[in-house]
Amino acid sequence: MGGIWIVAEKKEHALELLSIGRFLGNKMGTNLSVFSWRDQDACFDYIAHGADEVLLPTPPAADQSIDVLLPVIAGEAQMHHPDAIFFSATARCKDLAARLAARLSAGLCSNCIGLSYDEGAKNIIMERLAYGGAAIQKVACRIRPVMATIPPGTFARGDSDTGRKGQCRELPAPPTSALKIIELKKRTREIKDITEARVIVAAGRGFEKQEDLTLVRQLADRLEGEIGCTRPVSEENRWLPVELCIGLSGVQVKPDLYFGLGVSGQVQHVTGIRNARVIAAVNKDENAPIFSVADLGIVGDIYDVVPKLLQALNKG
Amino acid sequence: MPTIITCFKWVVDESYIRQGTAGELDFSVVDYRISDYDRNAIEEAMRLKAIYGGEVLALTAGVPEATKSIKDALSRGPDRAFFAVDPSFGGLEPAQTAALLAAVVKAHITPYDLILCGEGSGDLYAQQVGPRLAEHLGIPSISFVQKVDIQEGKVIAERRVEEGIEVVAATLPALVTVLPDINVPRIPGVKDTLMASKKPVLSLKKEDLPPIPEPYLQTLEMKTAKLSRACEKFGSDDAEINRFLNALRKKAAI
Repeated sequence: MGGIWIVAEKKEHALELLSIGRFLGNKMGTNLSVFSWRDQDACFDYIAHGADEVLLPTPPAADQSIDVLLPVIAGEAQMHHPDAIFFSATARCKDLAARLAARLSAGLCSNCIGLSYDEGAKNIIMERLAYGGAAIQKVACRIRPVMATIPPGTFARGDSDTGRKGQCRELPAPPTSALKIIELKKRTREIKDITEARVIVAAGRGFEKQEDLTLVRQLADRLEGEIGCTRPVSEENRWLPVELCIGLSGVQVKPDLYFGLGVSGQVQHVTGIRNARVIAAVNKDENAPIFSVADLGIVGDIYDVVPKLLQALNKG
Repeated sequence: MPTIITCFKWVVDESYIRQGTAGELDFSVVDYRISDYDRNAIEEAMRLKAIYGGEVLALTAGVPEATKSIKDALSRGPDRAFFAVDPSFGGLEPAQTAALLAAVVKAHITPYDLILCGEGSGDLYAQQVGPRLAEHLGIPSISFVQKVDIQEGKVIAERRVEEGIEVVAATLPALVTVLPDINVPRIPGVKDTLMASKKPVLSLKKEDLPPIPEPYLQTLEMKTAKLSRACEKFGSDDAEINRFLNALRKKAAI
């Protein structure tokens, strides 16, 4: 049996994982399966994107949490012994993955950002960040199944081949969840997804009061970009929504230009901007860690420098 | 009145980690502290105690050097501490830590009502110990919680998910992992530190506990994640600002 299994809440995440799953599956000569409980009509798409099998658990009722899938997936795993199970690292799936790993007595590589196959050792090698992003840890699993949670956006979706063949299989209905969902408060106000922004101007601790963030907004507008921030700005000061918080506990961004204003450059934040093409920063402390990860930096007071930048940009 | 367990980890303060010549991590000058996220878990336990009474128990597993962490944790308010301690309890992976904590809870802290953990640890940030511990104990778990309350034998929690906020309820006992913005952890004063030394601590040695699993994961490499960018620095007068903007233009960044 064996095989590589994909578990994701959203179709777009499943498609990304199918792409890396197909790559590994071909190297390992094994099948690729995907669990789909929200998009029961996505079978054809999943197969076209590399799945050999689409597993269809009965969708949980509205008041049931996805932890009801735990016994369903665990039951399948105990019966079919997968080589690997990859989860999309969304909040609910991270919880599900950790519980499943405990139930299967398996290891789990959390927030995996790189996957490769060592043909000599016949093992899947996984990469993740540790120590707040200060280090890259390479791990392998000693036992099967190899398990990992993978942040959305880590791998690109592959091409679709509508000629591919595969099968769909319905799974037994899950039991009742121990968690009861009382309410899902969807976000009412539309918050920009900055993960795809081309330019990001980020606010750090250097700002003294919330009104001063207009400087960030003005520069972002001038550069046709979006604004982001560090954790203290969103979580301690609550000046900006948490969705704009960049870093280990926030979003990972990959803009052409990241421009940090009053950002000190703690590793947790820097982790989120690793993939920016150009990093620029303004900070009055010339020893601020942000300068060791930036391409270009201005040593100066944001309250002095940003207006000058705006003026020069408007002139030129 | 509820018995609340709050788990914490003694971790390397990552701002002290230096890069060795071959890209290896240099821990020679590091200091340790209670993982930031766990401070929020302890604070939340104290907040609930202030409302509902009961007892707050701090729980950790670690090496003998982590003894310092017990006093630190107790100075943040918990009534008692439980410490699974052995020289081999360093560098454990989440599966092992969860197994150890579960063993202590089962043998020494049952019955209990609520277990609070941070959403992840400051060092590995695997975000697994909470849900794994719940699985070992056979209780519900709710992760990434920004607000928590106890009502009529249930925990009601607001968990942050991709689409927004999911309000969920679970019958106690249950486990909750909290987000860093759930509260602002207190800074212990001198009196708190003095009081902490008088609080009871139960230390459990390896021999007192069931064997933990062998590691499931093998770390093949741990290297500094260096961003190799040579920062070109500029001043803040008008000429320098223009030179800076030209450099950005040259990189086609603006």
